[in-house]
Amino acid sequence: MPTKRASAAPQQLEADQVLSVRGLSIAYSTRRGPVQAVRDVSFDLRRGETLAIIGESGSGKTTLAVSLIRLSPRTAKITKGHILYRKEDETIDVASLGDSDLREFRWSECAMVFQAALNSFNPVISIWEQFLDTARAHGMMDAKHVRSRAGELLGLVNLDPERVLRAFPHELSGGMKQRVLIALSLLLKPSIIILDEPTTALDILTQRAIIDLLRRLREQLGFSMIFISHDLSLAAELADRVLTMYAGTVVERASVKDLFYRPRHPYSMGLLRAVPRVSGALGNVVSIAGSPPDLINLPGGCTYSPRCPFVIDECKLREPDLLAVDTPNHDARCIRWKHVAELVGKEEAVVAEKLGAAT
Amino acid sequence: MSVAALSRPTTRSRITGPLASLLDFLRLLSKKPLGLVGLIGVLFFVVLAFIVPLFVPYQDAVDVTAIYQPPSAAHPLGTDSSGRDVWNQIIHGGRDILLVGFVAGFFSTLIAVTFGSLAAVAGGKVDALISGAADFWLTIPQIPIIVVLGSILKFNSIWIIAALLALLAWAGLLRQVRAQVLSLKERDYIEAARSLDLGLFHIIFKEILPNMRSYIVIHFILAMTAAIYGVAGLTLLGLIPLSGQNWGLMLNYAYVRGALFFKDSLFYILSPVLAITLFQLSLVWLASALEDIFNPRLRSSG
Amino acid sequence: MAATTPADARLAADIYRYSPYARGRRALVWMWDRPIARALTRAFITIFLVTTLNFALIRLMPGNAIDAYIAQVMNEQLLSYEDAAQLASGLFNLDLDKPIHEQYLQFLGDLVRGNLGTSMLSQGTTVTSIITAYLPWTLFTVGLGLMLSFTVGVFLGLLAAYRRNSLFDHIVSSGGSILSSIPSYVTALLIVVILGTQLRLLPIAEMRGSSSPSVAPGFHLEYLADILFHAVLPVLVYFIATVGHWILSMKSATLATLEEDYVTAARARGLSDGRITTAYVGRNAVLPLVSQFAITAGHVVGGAFFIETILVYPGIGLRLYKSIEQRDYTLMQGIVLLLTVSVVVANLLADVLYAKLDPRIGRAGGANG
Repeated sequence: MPTKRASAAPQQLEADQVLSVRGLSIAYSTRRGPVQAVRDVSFDLRRGETLAIIGESGSGKTTLAVSLIRLSPRTAKITKGHILYRKEDETIDVASLGDSDLREFRWSECAMVFQAALNSFNPVISIWEQFLDTARAHGMMDAKHVRSRAGELLGLVNLDPERVLRAFPHELSGGMKQRVLIALSLLLKPSIIILDEPTTALDILTQRAIIDLLRRLREQLGFSMIFISHDLSLAAELADRVLTMYAGTVVERASVKDLFYRPRHPYSMGLLRAVPRVSGALGNVVSIAGSPPDLINLPGGCTYSPRCPFVIDECKLREPDLLAVDTPNHDARCIRWKHVAELVGKEEAVVAEKLGAAT
Repeated sequence: MSVAALSRPTTRSRITGPLASLLDFLRLLSKKPLGLVGLIGVLFFVVLAFIVPLFVPYQDAVDVTAIYQPPSAAHPLGTDSSGRDVWNQIIHGGRDILLVGFVAGFFSTLIAVTFGSLAAVAGGKVDALISGAADFWLTIPQIPIIVVLGSILKFNSIWIIAALLALLAWAGLLRQVRAQVLSLKERDYIEAARSLDLGLFHIIFKEILPNMRSYIVIHFILAMTAAIYGVAGLTLLGLIPLSGQNWGLMLNYAYVRGALFFKDSLFYILSPVLAITLFQLSLVWLASALEDIFNPRLRSSG
Repeated sequence: MAATTPADARLAADIYRYSPYARGRRALVWMWDRPIARALTRAFITIFLVTTLNFALIRLMPGNAIDAYIAQVMNEQLLSYEDAAQLASGLFNLDLDKPIHEQYLQFLGDLVRGNLGTSMLSQGTTVTSIITAYLPWTLFTVGLGLMLSFTVGVFLGLLAAYRRNSLFDHIVSSGGSILSSIPSYVTALLIVVILGTQLRLLPIAEMRGSSSPSVAPGFHLEYLADILFHAVLPVLVYFIATVGHWILSMKSATLATLEEDYVTAARARGLSDGRITTAYVGRNAVLPLVSQFAITAGHVVGGAFFIETILVYPGIGLRLYKSIEQRDYTLMQGIVLLLTVSVVVANLLADVLYAKLDPRIGRAGGANG
């Protein structure tokens, strides 16, 4: 899918930046018309940093993640924007890579651990063959070398390489498969690993083990992570920075502390407030009154305004830009952020407790 | 909470009255051009086989001066080896074939639905026995066994022929009905019916079968195609002593009298061939369109 | 006799585990977990049932074959009932004076020794010898036709799924659905009429039989070429009759597989399209087709009855037709039995192949209930 875009050649990335998404928009074509799944999304990812993307299902977070390695279904098209990636000293635009460059880019630069790790392996070939397939696709032809690298990685994720490599996918448990997939994602030493709801189908104990494992691997190996989740507690544990997505666009961009203690967008606040827990552990997103907007016919003005408790007439006029708020490196797409700031305050405490006390 | 309120219709909308439901059905079908062609084809052949003969008298006058004539105004499809009109034979030759198809399709569906749902609902040994019998029947060469059965029982009435040919399609259908009922059984409203202790037959006939209507219709059609395949083929080989006129018999005459090797006989042979093939094709297209309409996710895999 | 305390339970388990029968029992359990053992059992039961059905047909049905034959011989050869019955027992390998269950056991015993009796019409010729002369031709043509149609159908179906809604897809899919609704004997008739009589592309008359009388049988090129020449028509008919089914099945299986997460995951891993298509999509999509192979083989062998008769190809189908026409009951029953065995064996082979292709079945067992 070679795409030609009118905009001029993108700039170079700085040395410690590994990925920069700029003004990315993605639309699906359907019979009813184009679905604007991702609209004008921009963010940066630094080397070794973990970025969490949170939001309800249908907010476009998975579409965004998948598009970073251009794995979107055929009906989805990047309509605008760039995905800049710094490969050693040069900057490439993933959005305009040709087929063979793209294939090379996938996994060796940016690997992905899927939501349904349970089904991420071909059921009819052994785990070893799937390692070998991946290595061969990227020019690692020496089977012995692949074998020792696979053994090393499986050791890192606390699995017995002898047993696992010989096994077929159905012989492994869900948690084991997820570990194998994480090991496989590290095979080619990528700089970025995208994790799309990596723990959704697992039980609580296994979830915990996977999160601890990811944290340890990140310290040992120093890759960057993009972590997609609707589970705020997991995001809180792993992330350095957080993006909140709503209706296909970023509504808030903040450090993990700012977002959890000092949200400035009513939607982020709603997400956090929906889970009051004294222990400080945050559970799943519970629904906020109303439902997400129709992505084919978006409401005019701020897309959150129909559900927003703080809505004023001005909100309906136009969609606001991302505005810098009262804490550094923190933006919210809301003209009423000051109102939210008054309610939530600045102290380091869980939002649900602060608001719970107020009401 | 009444059980009736719990059962749901399988079609997309609730419909009142048969006319409205027919219109609704046609609206859905109109989105499937092949299915529409199939429906028109089936109606065409039904009219041709059952209604047209009432107005067009049967002719079997032999005319040796007009053998294997090409189509003309007097003979739209030409003439056969005895100079008889082929179009007239096509008109009068559909009735027996279609009738055997309907009856065999009905028997076959009846066996499959009764025993398939019984197996699924009863479970245990009954299920093992019934499913075992279906698997057994599926893995043996059916046509030769039916022919041998027929040669011993004598194919001497249309009902025996239909009953034997019903054996062609029941097993595959039975397995699918069983799977379908098993999955329906899991649903809440069956649970509700069971907890109200409504009994096996109530569950089958009041709760499960109404939800399988579309499914049963589709398989009735497919069982018909199997039976028509059988009856036309066996008549072609002269193994069914059907008298009178039918498309299989036309093929049989063509085959026995060597018409296959006469260049002039093309229309005579193609006429029954096309009648059988087009009717089968109409049925298959109609069935697959119905399948798409009613059960988009239930396409069976084997 | 349930164990009441944990110690009791352990003791009971130990007794069970270390008893002298434990080994044999474990071996049985191990065997039963092999899918192949289950498939073999099923095959055995199927053959046994068909045999019994056969026996019942000729012996127990009202107006059964033996009584009919005795009556016929008494009429035609003016023999006494005893003499005619004597003749019939010889032919059917049955001692008609014994009680029915002994006759049945004797029938089964003979069968195990490969004795299917003697043809009623060609007296002195054993049914076994007739079958061994005709069956290979049927297996050869049916097997070749099915393998060709499977290969071509799988390939076209895969391609149609990849190019969904393209012109190619529309042509191949509607072609497939038309071909699979045309009865095979109609195809055979059409080939004779169109390719033979109308266009004169094929010398139909010369193609009859399994080989030309002028060519001496043997393992040399001329004979092999001659066999293939004579097999062209039936193979072509079996091909046309089944290819549509494979196209449609493979297309829908491929479409379903393309939706699978592991295919997306393979693309994310940067695998080449070729590797994904063969090892990830193709291999998984073809699995359900392998399990349909046996049923299709059954249909085709059944259809051979029509095809061989129309094309005058001397396989077992043609022989069956003749035996029915001539009321040669011993031959009929032998052929039906052999056809069943062939289909059951094809079924077994498909099971073995399936277990090889799908590790989920081959190893842990139990997955195919």
